Amino acid sequence: MGTKFNIDRKPVPDEEINSHKDFGELIKSFKKQSIEKARNDTHFLKNKKITYSAIIAGATVLCTVTYFSVFKNKETKQTTYDKITTIPVQTNTQNSKSKKDFIIPPISKLNIPSQKFKLKSEKGATLVTQSNSKIKIPKNAFVDKKGENIIGDVEIQFREFHNQADIIASGIPMKYDSAGIQTHLESAGMIDIKGFQNNEPIFINPKKEITVELQSTQSADKFNMYALDIVAQNWIYLHRDNSLKGQVEKKGVNRTFAQVDSAMNENVITKKLRKQIDEIPPKIDIEKATYSKKINQLPKSIEPTKPAKAIEGRPKFQLDVSAKEFPELATFKNMVFEVGSENKNYNSNLSDITWSSAEISEGTQKGKNYLMTLKLRDRIEKLIVYPALSGKDYNEAIKLYDTKYSEYKNVLAKRLTEEKRLKLEFEKKQADYIAQQKKLNDDLIKERIKIRQEQERELANQFNSIGNNQKVVRVFQVSNFGIYNSDCPNTLPIGEVLHPIYIVNGNTPLLNVSNTYLICKDKNLVYNLNPKEPLHFNPNEKYSMCIISNGKTYLCNAETFSKNTSNKQNKINLSELSSEIDNVYDFKKALGI
Amino acid sequence: MLLNAVYYMEFSPRYHHTADMLQTEQHLIEAAKQNPEHFGPLYDKYYKQIFGYVYQRMDCKDSAFDLTSQVFLKALTNIEKYEYKGVPFASWLYRIAHSEVMQSFRTKKNLRTINADISDLRNICEEVEQEYMEEYKSILMSVIKNLPEDDVQLIELRFFEKRPFKEIAEILNLTETNAKVKLYRILEKVKKTLTKNKKHGN
Repeated sequence: MGTKFNIDRKPVPDEEINSHKDFGELIKSFKKQSIEKARNDTHFLKNKKITYSAIIAGATVLCTVTYFSVFKNKETKQTTYDKITTIPVQTNTQNSKSKKDFIIPPISKLNIPSQKFKLKSEKGATLVTQSNSKIKIPKNAFVDKKGENIIGDVEIQFREFHNQADIIASGIPMKYDSAGIQTHLESAGMIDIKGFQNNEPIFINPKKEITVELQSTQSADKFNMYALDIVAQNWIYLHRDNSLKGQVEKKGVNRTFAQVDSAMNENVITKKLRKQIDEIPPKIDIEKATYSKKINQLPKSIEPTKPAKAIEGRPKFQLDVSAKEFPELATFKNMVFEVGSENKNYNSNLSDITWSSAEISEGTQKGKNYLMTLKLRDRIEKLIVYPALSGKDYNEAIKLYDTKYSEYKNVLAKRLTEEKRLKLEFEKKQADYIAQQKKLNDDLIKERIKIRQEQERELANQFNSIGNNQKVVRVFQVSNFGIYNSDCPNTLPIGEVLHPIYIVNGNTPLLNVSNTYLICKDKNLVYNLNPKEPLHFNPNEKYSMCIISNGKTYLCNAETFSKNTSNKQNKINLSELSSEIDNVYDFKKALGI
Repeated sequence: MLLNAVYYMEFSPRYHHTADMLQTEQHLIEAAKQNPEHFGPLYDKYYKQIFGYVYQRMDCKDSAFDLTSQVFLKALTNIEKYEYKGVPFASWLYRIAHSEVMQSFRTKKNLRTINADISDLRNICEEVEQEYMEEYKSILMSVIKNLPEDDVQLIELRFFEKRPFKEIAEILNLTETNAKVKLYRILEKVKKTLTKNKKHGN
């Protein structure tokens, strides 16, 4: 067979090429091939381990076939975007590290809070976000990891990014590698949408689609839709954004308020309140310890032992007992220890032996009887003995006991009274603290509501401040959870190049710059620049800058940037962002956006 | 002047990978080595390129699709053997594709086909300092068809597919310099043939 030469052959359209892509089929063939290979092995059946592997592999093939048959849409084969964007969601846990490394909010205090919505999966809903954007969820839009339809409450977490401050705070990389050409995305609006049921990630039913109608201030018709592939760590071009339609809506929408992450919804007041709330439990613990100490320090008295009368005929031992060791016996004169009837090992011979040692220790009934240990060389005898007195000694001991018992009762009564008083005092203090904590909590909730209302007002102002002709809605068709963007790629500005030296407070050079953001004032665009590379800018455009160094944030406003760059001295003056700024709205103001 | 062929079109966005992209790709490969299901992003990324490479050398579209599937199956089967050498994974896939395509020609399953545009032939003429004329079309086609397979490969990769030398060297398992020298010699041959024909024509 010779060689054929074709000139100007018609290229194969992308759609046709994509229609032949079938990763499920490839995996199926791969597993089939693996099993066949294993079967062809002469030792296949002899080797149990391999047999089991083959059975497991067989089961995997079945599962895979089932899985793909559930997820595969016969009419429209999954496109590149579907497959790629599915990966980050499906391997959410496995890739958490890489995702974490990939999307890093540069300013630890700032991030865009998630707006949380609850809905019944089987009913669907139209959710209205803080910016008056809409998330339209059809009924039965969610499946679990097995591909089974989800019923019941699901939680949708939604973040929206509208301006340069949002973009910087989010840490979402806006660099786009378009076939090897590095560009920076100018955004007409970006969203991050996730779904959960009982804290487990859920998936969008392959037969359904969520529609997000995002309010946008970018009315130009030059944007494309992209999805962020967090595994490949690049944006995936989806299609041209043809979703523009005038936004005239003002009021009257059945607004479902989103619940904003409390951690992201803080200001100086809420921080102070939280600090005060957190300080209360340790204060209660300290009070508790103080009162316990006071109670322990109250005078204690030991109940005296009532003397027993010696029983005639019972065997007895006379011993000297240490008053220090047994204070309850100290007052008894001529006391003897009677051998209890429970001692089956006693016989009269024991009384005839001269024991080398006899020790008394606590018995089976504290204060009533004692254990006497008698020793002679290797012989040891243990007897339960009872202290006893006889005659005059007994009468005197009883008198003394009565006096001591009365003293004991008085001390005990006083102690109990004092103990009760201290306990009441502590309980009152504790109640005061709890009331204080409750009040602080109420204040915190009020403050957070106030912040949210301010945020909503701010967003509403943002949209109201522009003319109706500039208000547009960007429509995102979401078939997989993830991050989507309506963008236009921009290359680095052309015009001037500087080798910048960043100066803080007029004289201190800034070292260890980790992030450099050049904020384009005329476009919704942030250039995330390599701090070691020269700074490119167009002298006909307005810019401001945000620099991160050693955990601190520095800004250069548009006026300063223009002044510093026009003299071509490479020095750019920065001012440190106030540490008090801990929300994106204040950050936006600081950036002059 | 012939050396221009060595430098022109050196930048190919299709081939160009940043260090970050290479690193990301390496993570994907490692993941695929652990679990074939993770091969998906690589399959998605390179499917079109590999199909393009295969179809460039074949006449039948359906056969090209089948062969592309075989290439990926082979890649997935052998992914454990893949070692990172600082070049994109694509080069490794192209080698597999090259081997599969050649095998299909040897077993006569498919017809060896050279596909070019007129603009590509025009480029070759410019490289050999000849002004393109319509009559050169058949001469060039004939010259290229009769070149040894390795030489055809070089012409295809460089002029019809516009690949950088680094990538060509990787696909053909040559050094970059060797690929440049070889192409230079092939172009010398082409130049001689064209000059000879021009003289005869005159």
